[in-house]
Amino acid sequence: MIMVRAIIRPDKKDSVLQELSRAGFNAATVVDVVGRGKQNGIKFGDIVYDEIPKSLIMVVIEEAEKDKILDVILRHAKVGENGSFGDGKIFISAIDEVYTVSSGLAGL
Amino acid sequence: MKEIIAVIRMNKVGPTKKALVEAGVAGFTALKAIGRGKVVENIEIIADRKKQLLAKTNPEDPKAEQVATEFLDGRGLFPCRMFTILAHDEQVQTIVQAIIKVNKTQHNVGDGKIFILPLLDAVRVRTNEHGDAAI
Repeated sequence: MIMVRAIIRPDKKDSVLQELSRAGFNAATVVDVVGRGKQNGIKFGDIVYDEIPKSLIMVVIEEAEKDKILDVILRHAKVGENGSFGDGKIFISAIDEVYTVSSGLAGL
Repeated sequence: MKEIIAVIRMNKVGPTKKALVEAGVAGFTALKAIGRGKVVENIEIIADRKKQLLAKTNPEDPKAEQVATEFLDGRGLFPCRMFTILAHDEQVQTIVQAIIKVNKTQHNVGDGKIFILPLLDAVRVRTNEHGDAAI
């Protein structure tokens, strides 16, 4: 199993979640975060905004479905045809074990 | 070293904190999050809970049934609390069982998930200790 953590634009959150649900990845946890990327935030003259609001979407899936979920997020999280700076990042980490509290059993 | 990420109900935060301390966890981080789970296909599982929820709503509200169903079958996002706990390998099972014990309800669904991730390193900022000593 793997955990996919996608940091995306807050205004793309709803459409990404909707498309994830349609693709069969209904379960997700969403946290509002602030951060900056490689561009070091946004500069307007002397003013620098380096705490830009983003949404962090966490989804845990089977490893075989990785390409499918990446395709959905990459397609719906970007602005414009070729994407723009600030569209976000996707991180993937390993998961050793998963437990469902309702049943107390291991597994998704 | 393992990282335990537990997503649980908002109203179980107090008991969970207590259980974690009893399980010997020194520190944890808690975040407010919103989330949803697997779509519930078997409606019978949520039938009882739906009746309870509908009893609290205005019976003339045409949207009440739809809202209650979406809330219970996992299509809508609802508030939850995300705990991040760092633990030694041998502590993991104790902590997981403690979390499950206090968070389990009679509602069959929506009690949350616990994820266990491998951790490469941890550093205590104050002393620059690495690895297991930092937890």
